[in-house]
Amino acid sequence: MSTPFEKPQIISHIQKSLNYTIFDCKWIPCSAKFVCLGNLARGTGVMQIYEVHQGELQLIREIEKAKPFKCGSFGATSLQQRHMATGDFDGNLHIWDLEAALEPLYSVKAHKEIINSLDGVGGLGVGDGAPEIVTGSRDGTVKVWDPRQKDTPVANMEPGEGEAKRDCWTVAFGHAFNEQDRCVCAGYDNGDIKLFDLRNMAVRWETNIKNGVCCVEFDRKDIPMNKLVATSLEGTFHVFDMRTQHPTKGFASVAEKGHKSTIWQVRHLPQNRDVFMTAGGAGNLHLWKYDYPAQRSKDDLEGGAMGVAGTVNLLQNVTLSTQPIASLDWSPDKQGLCVCSAFDQSVRVLIVTKLNRV
Amino acid sequence: MSVSEVGSLLNQENTFSATLDHYGKVPVEHLDYGYIEKCMDVKYLEKILRVLRSGEEGVYPHLIQFCEDRLKSLDPTSRALRKDQPVATAASLPTEEWSEIREDLQRWQEETKDFEASILPSSIFHGIGNENVPPIRGTNCSVPLGQNAASKAKNKPPKRALPLDYKDWDKFDVDRECEMIDRSESKKDPAAVINSGHVKIRTRVDVTTLTEKEKLLLASREKDKGNEAFRANGYEEAVAYYSRSLSIVPTVAVYNNRAQAEIKLQRWHRALQDCQRVLELEPLNLKALLRRATVFQHQGSLPLAAEDLRAVLRVEPHNAAAAKRLTEVDKKIREGQPELPAKGRKIFIQDIEEDDDVTGKDEEKAEEHARPVDPRQPVGGVDSVVSPVEWGDMGNAQKKPYGGGRGDGASPHGDANNGSHGHHRRGRGGSWDKHKAAAHESPGPGKAANGTGKRGSTASDHGVAKGGTPAGVDLDAPSGALPPPLARLKNEGNLLFKNGQFSDALGKYSQAIASFTESGIDSPEDLCILYSNRAACYLKDGNSQECIQDCSKALELHPFSLKPLLRRATAYDSMERYRKAYADYKTVLQVDNSVQAAHDSVNRITRLLIEQDGPEWREKLPDIPLVPMSAQQHRREEAPTPEVLQARAEKAALDTARRSELRFTALKQEGNEFVKKGQFQDALGKYTECLKLKPEECTVYTNRALCYLKVERFAEAKQDCDAALSLEPTNKKAFYRRALANKGLKDYLASSSDLQEVLQQDPGVQEAEKELEEVTALLCQSLASGATPSPPTAKPRKKVPITEVDGDQDRSTTDSTTRPQDCGAINLQPADSYEFGQSLNAARSRGDAAACANLLSSVDPERLPRLLSNQLDGHVMGFMFEALDEHLLARDPGRVYRLLQYLHTAERFQVVLMLLETAEQRRVTQLFEHLSSVQSDDLTKDDVQNLANKYII
Repeated sequence: MSTPFEKPQIISHIQKSLNYTIFDCKWIPCSAKFVCLGNLARGTGVMQIYEVHQGELQLIREIEKAKPFKCGSFGATSLQQRHMATGDFDGNLHIWDLEAALEPLYSVKAHKEIINSLDGVGGLGVGDGAPEIVTGSRDGTVKVWDPRQKDTPVANMEPGEGEAKRDCWTVAFGHAFNEQDRCVCAGYDNGDIKLFDLRNMAVRWETNIKNGVCCVEFDRKDIPMNKLVATSLEGTFHVFDMRTQHPTKGFASVAEKGHKSTIWQVRHLPQNRDVFMTAGGAGNLHLWKYDYPAQRSKDDLEGGAMGVAGTVNLLQNVTLSTQPIASLDWSPDKQGLCVCSAFDQSVRVLIVTKLNRV
Repeated sequence: MSVSEVGSLLNQENTFSATLDHYGKVPVEHLDYGYIEKCMDVKYLEKILRVLRSGEEGVYPHLIQFCEDRLKSLDPTSRALRKDQPVATAASLPTEEWSEIREDLQRWQEETKDFEASILPSSIFHGIGNENVPPIRGTNCSVPLGQNAASKAKNKPPKRALPLDYKDWDKFDVDRECEMIDRSESKKDPAAVINSGHVKIRTRVDVTTLTEKEKLLLASREKDKGNEAFRANGYEEAVAYYSRSLSIVPTVAVYNNRAQAEIKLQRWHRALQDCQRVLELEPLNLKALLRRATVFQHQGSLPLAAEDLRAVLRVEPHNAAAAKRLTEVDKKIREGQPELPAKGRKIFIQDIEEDDDVTGKDEEKAEEHARPVDPRQPVGGVDSVVSPVEWGDMGNAQKKPYGGGRGDGASPHGDANNGSHGHHRRGRGGSWDKHKAAAHESPGPGKAANGTGKRGSTASDHGVAKGGTPAGVDLDAPSGALPPPLARLKNEGNLLFKNGQFSDALGKYSQAIASFTESGIDSPEDLCILYSNRAACYLKDGNSQECIQDCSKALELHPFSLKPLLRRATAYDSMERYRKAYADYKTVLQVDNSVQAAHDSVNRITRLLIEQDGPEWREKLPDIPLVPMSAQQHRREEAPTPEVLQARAEKAALDTARRSELRFTALKQEGNEFVKKGQFQDALGKYTECLKLKPEECTVYTNRALCYLKVERFAEAKQDCDAALSLEPTNKKAFYRRALANKGLKDYLASSSDLQEVLQQDPGVQEAEKELEEVTALLCQSLASGATPSPPTAKPRKKVPITEVDGDQDRSTTDSTTRPQDCGAINLQPADSYEFGQSLNAARSRGDAAACANLLSSVDPERLPRLLSNQLDGHVMGFMFEALDEHLLARDPGRVYRLLQYLHTAERFQVVLMLLETAEQRRVTQLFEHLSSVQSDDLTKDDVQNLANKYII
């Protein structure tokens, strides 16, 4: 363990109150700007672009749309274009050119109900292969979209006839290390986690963590899947070692109860996949580091290989707010810079120090 | 630790009778300093802490603190210790730390602004450059959310989106679909799926459509990925990511990292290559030096490892790790010393082999080394008067022009500088005499080391005893272009040396050298002196190896400097490497032939060498460099002979030759590794580089030929084999591979003759036998195939397999068994020229003229020219004549006549006829004699005569 002085510090750099409920915030790649997505009191959606400038936040642009925005991503766009994909309360998936956001570049009624979560891959030089967006909705389906194909998804993961529809709370891409391979992980309100293999168009693995899955994220999208973190409603999170899949036991995992309340988000540090931050329902942030075991796989009794989970260590924890922190995003360009939004209608820019020494 | 264990433990330790119950209440008496101090149970302590914090039993802040401390000492990661902390703000940080963070952030903001602006203009080209994006995955493929994924995946073949209309079918990639199916089949086995996946990661990234900045971004991200994989012990994967990063933008750091990963994988050659590349870009990269040292150590090149470690220590004298490893390596070298002479000889042999074009380059290099000397002469001004003796002898003096000039700057030592220079001059004369005296005293053979030792000491006294200030030496006296701290280090070293504390002096000099290189002063002369002085220390310590190294370095910096030369000669002498010692002494004498010690040593060594090597001892000498006029002090009368001139150039070539030798072996081994892995293209590159270094290495040619064969570049393969054979005319491998190449080029004749050559040399080569059979068959086929211009589809399109070790043809090995089978297999009713040719050749290869006669009697004479096609040659014709004469003529002279009548209309007939050998010509004559002597109704003598005129020229 590091000494107190060597520990990373989480510093609140800028705090800004907003006049709407903010659901998501995302850094615009290659810039000091970020986008806030939310819901105005009058029931419309709002998108604001802020720039960090000399310790202040400057509002660059504000765009109002008919439906409240729930989530957004830059994952499926090129560095030059930087188009943002958003999901709204009405189940629409839009892609916007933030410079000219009058009309969406791409628009589809993706789901019957709210899009809870979306993720993109194949853009920004992250992951080889086609640009794709995955959306997860309350209607129980998870759909994969290609911005080049209008109206229909490229893949649709839905419950069969007569099966119960579960609310999908979170989706994430991973395993996109070449042009063909790609996986989608989805978490549901009943604690189900499902891993879809887009190459084979099949469910590759599933498990249940007993409590609603609030957020899942791979440590990196563009490598053979390495680790997956899934956070849950009652404050535990699980780290799965995704390298070795045992035919019956699946992936090895370690569970940690970090928060006393729901963990709303988990985000891995883009510059170091073994460091991640969890954002809790009590307005607190925990910074963790995953330590690998000496051997990442061992032989089970039948001679097959099974994974071995490592350990999770708390690096730092702070309380920011009394309200849940609903979203968190690390700057992809500046190590240690992150933005988070809480339900106290405020957005905060944080600096985490000494991350290169953990 | 279970509850009961803890209980019993506690009962032993103290008097508490209360049993512990994790689920019950904590007894009040446990909320006590004494109890908490002794309690070892973390869980229970956490519980106590909870009770204390809750305040149920009252608030005791100190006890809480005490309990927390106790818990921390037992389990610092205990969850009970986690406390919610308020978020830090700028105010909670030290001011300087915050301002640092702030500035950093500010800088980043500005940088990103620029960067953003730089990527914006290209946004005009929206959508361009997307052509290499993979196709859309499919349309609305539904994936059932099955409950049992494993069984579902097994039962149900993965669903693929089948194209809906015809246009889409055009895009349908059959190969990929097949691959998918194969893959899904292989996935069915229930073994664990391991996603280490490094094999599948492409090591190249297509960045053609990206801007420079994007490339940098991408490269650094790949590097991050590599670092992460490295930390997780995924070295293979790390190498893959580093390679990706390098394929985008090559950087020193990534090469360095990849070297480390390769070291972890124990792939020494690749690691070496990466280190080499780093050092090419950054010659003093410590990490690369350390890593290269590791590689050398593992490859057994201990001296090279030691050299690298020393280079590290020169830059960073306090690098503990390097120092420790250096002692290890030195120890190993010393342990392995008995091997040294053998090693030395090996190198010597290699030196002889060096090739001419390398020498050419090295001559240039040698000149470059020499060049810095010349321009200094005119700069000297006043000092040019200074006799060359002092010049070469006392390094310090050489710097005077610079020292004086620079010292005049803002330095407060300006005056002292000049003053001390005066001292220098005065002192020097005296000490030079001393030097000579010492040299004269130098006793005969055997005691040479001693004598020179003394000489060394007196010589290096100069630095200290210059002004004749024995005790209160001015340690800060500036020397040369050295900055004061360095000058001080040097002077301290000199003083220590004078006092006989050689190892301490050694340290001082090492420090001085290290900080010298760090400070980046451009004054090779000063460095030369430092090395020379350190060499003296090594010599005193009896460490001849190091001494030689330092002297060599000094000489590199300042060629033909007298002292290092003398010291090196002494060191060689003491190591009994007389030839080198002789060369050095001779060079010394060229520089200054008044050095008596050198004369003595030369005489002594000459005797020793004559004893050792006999009358031809001179031939075994290394080359003695020619000393340029400018460096000669007491020049001898006779001008240097051209041999000496040449010798000097060759001597200078030694170093690079050795280096290239090293590189050559490395490259070759890499190539071989690639071949083992089946990466023939990569191997080709390596071998080609090898051949650039050494164009007369036969094995490399044959190896490269193999690679060419594997990638089906037969013409090149053949060329390589030819080259190999020109170097080594009996190389079996070369013959065999040339045979394969010829086979690939469809030159079956040449192929078979090569194979026969192989079998002649070594009849036991089964592959060759097999190949020969195959080639013979192919030869027959090809001979026949040209006969009729059959439609292209009918042409035999057999792919020529290249089998190196075991062919998959199940041909029987013994000829005796195949013969009867083949005999029956001769096709007497050939349908086309190919079959005819096959049958004919089968008959001919066994010398079975009767079979040939049968064949000829069964074919329609009119078809004969067509069946023969263009495959007619002298042997075939001779054989046919033999068959006709001996077998068919007696049976059916009319047919013979008609066959002959049509034969002469065959393609190539005239040419073949002209080239017939005498034996065959005789056979033709014989045939016509027999034919004309045969009495038959349907042919007259005139007809035969007419025909004979066409055959007999």
